Amino acid sequence: MTTAESRSEIDILIRTYRLLARMNRAQNKGGSSHTLYFQLLADYYTRVRNAHEEGKLLAAHTVFFPTEVLYAMDIVPMHTEMTTWLSALFLREQAGLLAKGAELGLAPEICSPHRGVAGIFALNAIPRPDIILWSNLICDNTAKSGELMMELSDSPGFFLDNPFQNSSGEMDYLVGELEDMVHFLEERSGRKMDWDRLSEMVARTNDEIDLYREIGELRKAVPSPMSVMDDLELLSADYMFPGQPEAIQYLTHLRDELKGMVQEGKGAVTNERFRLMTLFIPPMYLMSYLEQLFEEYGAVSVVEPLFTLWSEGWLDPAHPLESVAKKSFLIPERRSMYGPLGEQALQDIIDCAEQYKVDGAIYWAFMGCRHTCATIKVIKETLSEVDVPMLTIDCDIVDPTINSEEEVREKLEQFFEMLEDR
Amino acid sequence: MQTLGIDIGSLNIKAVVLDEEGPIGTSIMPLGDEVGDSVHAALEKATTEAGLSLDSLPVVATGVGAKTISFVPQQKSITTCLARGIQYLFPSARMAIDMGAESTTVIKLNERGRLTDWANHDKCASGTGLFLQQMAKLMGLPLDEMARLSLQARARADITNTCAVFAESEVISHVHRDPPTPKEDIIAGIYYSVVSRIMSMCKRVGITREVAVTGGAALNDGLVNILEQELGFEVLKPASPQIVAALGAAIVARENSEKGTKK
Amino acid sequence: MDYLNTRSTESLNLEEFRAVNGTFPKTKEILDLKQQGNKVFGWLCTYVPEEVMHAAGILPVRITGYSQETELEDGNAYLYINNCSFSRSCLQMGLRGEYDYLDGVVAGSTCDGARRLFDLWQHYIKVPFQHILTVPRKYTERAHCLYYEQAVKFKEHLERHLDFEITDEALLKSISLFNESRELLKELYQLRKLDRPPITGSETMEVLNASFRMPKELFNHYLRQLLDELAVSKIEHQNQARLMVTGSVMNNPEFIHSIEELGGLVVTDELCTSTRYWSDPVVLNGRSPLEAISRRYLSNFPCARMVPSEERFDRILQLVRDYKVDGVISQIIRYCVPYAHDLPLLSARLKAAGIPTLALDVEYGTPGSGQIRTRVQAFMEMLETRKR
Repeated sequence: MTTAESRSEIDILIRTYRLLARMNRAQNKGGSSHTLYFQLLADYYTRVRNAHEEGKLLAAHTVFFPTEVLYAMDIVPMHTEMTTWLSALFLREQAGLLAKGAELGLAPEICSPHRGVAGIFALNAIPRPDIILWSNLICDNTAKSGELMMELSDSPGFFLDNPFQNSSGEMDYLVGELEDMVHFLEERSGRKMDWDRLSEMVARTNDEIDLYREIGELRKAVPSPMSVMDDLELLSADYMFPGQPEAIQYLTHLRDELKGMVQEGKGAVTNERFRLMTLFIPPMYLMSYLEQLFEEYGAVSVVEPLFTLWSEGWLDPAHPLESVAKKSFLIPERRSMYGPLGEQALQDIIDCAEQYKVDGAIYWAFMGCRHTCATIKVIKETLSEVDVPMLTIDCDIVDPTINSEEEVREKLEQFFEMLEDR
Repeated sequence: MQTLGIDIGSLNIKAVVLDEEGPIGTSIMPLGDEVGDSVHAALEKATTEAGLSLDSLPVVATGVGAKTISFVPQQKSITTCLARGIQYLFPSARMAIDMGAESTTVIKLNERGRLTDWANHDKCASGTGLFLQQMAKLMGLPLDEMARLSLQARARADITNTCAVFAESEVISHVHRDPPTPKEDIIAGIYYSVVSRIMSMCKRVGITREVAVTGGAALNDGLVNILEQELGFEVLKPASPQIVAALGAAIVARENSEKGTKK
Repeated sequence: MDYLNTRSTESLNLEEFRAVNGTFPKTKEILDLKQQGNKVFGWLCTYVPEEVMHAAGILPVRITGYSQETELEDGNAYLYINNCSFSRSCLQMGLRGEYDYLDGVVAGSTCDGARRLFDLWQHYIKVPFQHILTVPRKYTERAHCLYYEQAVKFKEHLERHLDFEITDEALLKSISLFNESRELLKELYQLRKLDRPPITGSETMEVLNASFRMPKELFNHYLRQLLDELAVSKIEHQNQARLMVTGSVMNNPEFIHSIEELGGLVVTDELCTSTRYWSDPVVLNGRSPLEAISRRYLSNFPCARMVPSEERFDRILQLVRDYKVDGVISQIIRYCVPYAHDLPLLSARLKAAGIPTLALDVEYGTPGSGQIRTRVQAFMEMLETRKR
């Protein structure tokens, strides 16, 4: 991978985001939080592109990775799955990337973002990362993606092993893993961890979590103020900028916007008729189509219980590394998806259905995501206890060949008809 | 109050004229080259039988072809219509398996004939009327002869492929085996593979009795027999399984009119 | 199942093993033991320390699915179509009551398929005792510490449930017994290193299946008998190629048989139902029995879930050398994620060592379809050409 040829994908992403930011600002579409988000992402990928020129290390990492550690050491993070999702969302690059992944020998049943990630690496579409970081949060695909990335980029890597359950022994294990990781990064970067900076980030994370909770509360309003397109932005604030000023900036903006809308009694859609619970998230390539469709039908996704419920608890800035470990236990995805399937996860579903006054639920069943699909029946039954019907749509997060817009429309229409008929 | 329901399927058009006593005119017509003509013919027959004129009747259309006819503005999804129709015929039904030409659908409904859940299987041909027709051609037998023979089967030939294309080659190899697998057993095997698909869909939504069967393939005794074996209980069989959705559409038309007159 | 050994007039006496495999999960032994008031636990994955259960007087049996490719209606409805057919197959058997005698189910947090199988088993099939161990993915000292803690938790949970103390003495006895099984299986495998082994791959799989379906005392006894028989047997399996089967969980002897019918002999296998199950013994080395057990289980021949993958690849290459393997047949179940990710890297390693790999996509339980045979045939022909 040479630095010269390898910037195409990133350049395109940066240009796209800048363009979107400008367009959004000009049209004042949907509120300034969108503009801000696009700008933040443009800056993020600019940092990725310029990392080597600026003498910084570039670290590719998988989802739910504690990148606070990287930020505190001035190492530039690049989120592998997000980059593939965004390529799918904005650049429609999936087919080529997935084909490359297949060429490398990755089976079609492997989660498509990971096949895409391998494709991105193999096609030299990104600057060569100096370090590969990956973990087993949240599934086997994440846990197994690192070694191929290391091979393709000929870079060293570190696997962060997240324990399965939450006990003191397991927390200690994770802290130990993080310590090892810090040593590894210090060796590679020649820099020392800035513990004060990390503490600041931990403190900021508390504020971040606060904002997420506030936003969650605001969405309970009737009509609900946030639309499905914002889901990805909302989630990725923490994926891309955990404990960073950017996350606070964006979430504060969004919170204020939503507050304003709630005060004015304005909803995300003009005429709210169906309040939906979304299980998992809609496919990337369907986002803008769904936005139209939802507006047409007056549907709004008011809650995504698998992704939006942070667990109770605060982080202690005085113990930064322990806090980073603890944070991984507080994130919504661990509560809902990683760890034994407990009563809490199902109770959350019921609570959300009631608190958000949900009319119906849609489960976006990603064929590559086996551990979430395993809970489809359990969740459907749980929802039927509170008389909320659930529609399941087989799809893929980035690959549009699994189903078409037409099929999705048909299913949703039928579902809305059914809800209305009740 | 009389109403009309029309179901435009992929092979046939079904129409039902309904009044307070029940259906007073029905028709089942094959879909010809001109959809519009076929639709008119079906409507003509049903309304003539009922002794009414088309203009006087509120109409609701359903089925895959409903969107193609512009003169019936009121449309409802097939699943909703099936739910209404089957509840009308069998108030105890909580589930219906619609075995159509190109797709099979399983619906669940409540005591008010409201749809509560459904599952489709329309990604491929197997498990549907078309698949069975294909198999009949392969075996060189008329459909009803096939059904009759299947009831005499003593065993089921293993047709492991759920894809129609591959199932075909398995059937052929059974026919050419030495000694050849008995026809009855092959047919039973074919029906069993269709029923397996249906059972998968049923389990997805959860089986709740009573279960009814609708659609053209519901007239196939052999198929229904194997379905009942797998379910472990008997299913409710409408006398005219093909018109259930059209009947449901007529019921929806009635509901809409009543809502209108209440204003 | 008729395994006519066309290469000799003799055939091995595998009746005892076949009797168990033919009736599992409800074998006569198991039902008798239950009748007598004994407890039977089902376990998933080689990261569950069997000795701990055994020391508590429990018979541990491995949960496996149907030994055929079958329409998994219940499995699909509960686990959804994109979880591996192994997990769907096992769950369906569980839902249909084939394991209704189990007093407990124990799993490790090994892979998504296994952990969700455990979750749904717990949710839908009520069993008096259920436990899942966290299994780290690394082999560091810290990881060993964590896994040991998990083994302790498991033991304590069992003790509370049974109101019974699991003593070190009992653990030592269990270790000794299980090590004996491992030693005997190792002896069996030694015979497969010969140029013309007296036992086929499919016959070995029948023995392996029985190993985790009956009391080890009994199994060891039958295996000793078989080894005695093999010691004086004149059977010699000629072959056109020495093959190794690797990949996802697989325990259908028919599958191996369908490969061996085409001229090659499966002389070894890298599966969690074979070498990954028995390879490493528990070694005390001055440790407490539970420490020794946990150390062995974590560092045992690795599943693809472990990091780094090199550990597994190194051991596979060692098998290739020890058994003089000509070609590798990888069978990976659709949606078996860890193994699918490993495949490109493993194939590259094998290729660099001059060993060709045939990669097959399968469903769990497959006996080896027409398509599979065609591909193996082509592979065999390719291996033939290389030899000349």
